[in-house]
Amino acid sequence: MHRLLHLLRRAVDALWRGPFVTAVAVGTIFVAVLLTGALAVALHGAEQLLSAWAGEVPVSVYLSPGADLEAARRAAERIAPGLRVEAVTSPEALRRLRASLGDQGAVLDGLGEDVLPASVEIHAPGASLAGARELAARLREVPGAAEVDFGASWVERIETLLRRGRWVGLALVGLVALATAVLVANTLRLAVYARRDEIEIMKLVGATDAFVGAPFLVEGLLQGLAGAGLAVGVLLGATWALLPRLRAALPLAARMARADVLPAGLLLGLLAGGAILGLAASALSLGRFLRRA
Amino acid sequence: MIQLFHVFKKYGAEAPALSDVSLEVRKGEFVFLTGPSGAGKSTLLKLVFCAEPATSGQILVFGRNVSRLRPSRVPYLRRNVGVIFQDFKLLPHRTVAENVAFPLEVRGQAPREVRRRVTQALRGVGLDHRMDKFPLSLSGGEQQRAAVARALVADPALLLADEPTGNLDLDRTVEVMDLLEAANARGTTVVVATHDRGLLARYKKRVIALESGRVVSDGDSVRRAS
Repeated sequence: MHRLLHLLRRAVDALWRGPFVTAVAVGTIFVAVLLTGALAVALHGAEQLLSAWAGEVPVSVYLSPGADLEAARRAAERIAPGLRVEAVTSPEALRRLRASLGDQGAVLDGLGEDVLPASVEIHAPGASLAGARELAARLREVPGAAEVDFGASWVERIETLLRRGRWVGLALVGLVALATAVLVANTLRLAVYARRDEIEIMKLVGATDAFVGAPFLVEGLLQGLAGAGLAVGVLLGATWALLPRLRAALPLAARMARADVLPAGLLLGLLAGGAILGLAASALSLGRFLRRA
Repeated sequence: MIQLFHVFKKYGAEAPALSDVSLEVRKGEFVFLTGPSGAGKSTLLKLVFCAEPATSGQILVFGRNVSRLRPSRVPYLRRNVGVIFQDFKLLPHRTVAENVAFPLEVRGQAPREVRRRVTQALRGVGLDHRMDKFPLSLSGGEQQRAAVARALVADPALLLADEPTGNLDLDRTVEVMDLLEAANARGTTVVVATHDRGLLARYKKRVIALESGRVVSDGDSVRRAS
């Protein structure tokens, strides 16, 4: 136990005695974790919005000409029990389209009442994207169904974009982590170099590499945790400040909670990532020096 | 305690720092290693405490062949060796007590035991009243006494001193040498590298003389090679 306390004391003492190096290392890790976290929050938030949108858009089953609308409605109710199912006749579909066009509605003048297909609309508020997709697949069984639409083309396009964004984000995070590790390692190397006399004397009196290196690793770990902790604090603060505005501006985000964009797993991951970054940078800076000493 | 068999040490293409050195230092001895600057005194000490490897030859310390010692075992050998340098090698931002505590801390001794032994060691060199001072606030003689305390605090079987009085006046030199003699009287084997002939004259000990990396004499008085 006293060895552990002694190790922590040496690490904290060294952090205290090298404020410049500590500030640079903590600052660099802070920026890296903040960038990573902001990217993750943006992607995660976009996924949440997409999911909310999928739940808001009704699933429409367009019927073939001459199909029995009432039979289709009953079939849809059987397939999606508990959900609101609405039968939309051809004239009603035209009326809705005219209303949605507003002043431009006149362009529809002269068209027949049955120009648009009759449909059955199923409202599934709060359904996830996967849930909406699965429901749409089941609704293809509705008698007379010609096409089932849940905004699939848009949803899938955005989904593909997000998937690519995730890969690009992952690559960026990898690059940022590598650059940070190298930058912090070089900064810590200065700290190790500044303490070369201490290292030399410790080795002279019989210190093992583990004894010499452990405080540096603990320092790296603490710096990583401090940098990541600051970044997590800023992300939490930004979420706290911006989420109400997003909710007010975007009806889709109305039910979005802090945990939806910044889940506990992500926070822990960022903290662990910062700690690992600090540890790796420390090990990188120390390895070569110990071999030389 | 220390045995060297046909030891050579070369640095690059220069003339060897040590050339075919064979000698033995027995347990409990007090030995002066002397010779002019560049004779190889410091190099020989470095080989003994494994700061550098020999180019060829065999070196036995405590019966162990150090040239075959794995790097991971070197710290454990050094824990039985105290080393003193001309420039003291004290850390300026640590107190005297913290400097002296180093050898005990690397052994993982409990803080209470460390405090007890540090106080005892500093009392032994007459510095217990200065233990909370920083080295740079001490005189040269006091700094060297602190370095002696650090070298002896863990009761090493072997004490190596490289020009320990090189920066001290006569009175301080006598103080430090008395401390080394006292350690020797308690059973520690002591090897002192020095070019100070006055020291050799004052303390009648075994003297090994080196010149250009070779042993030129070994006995109670210095015999210059012709």
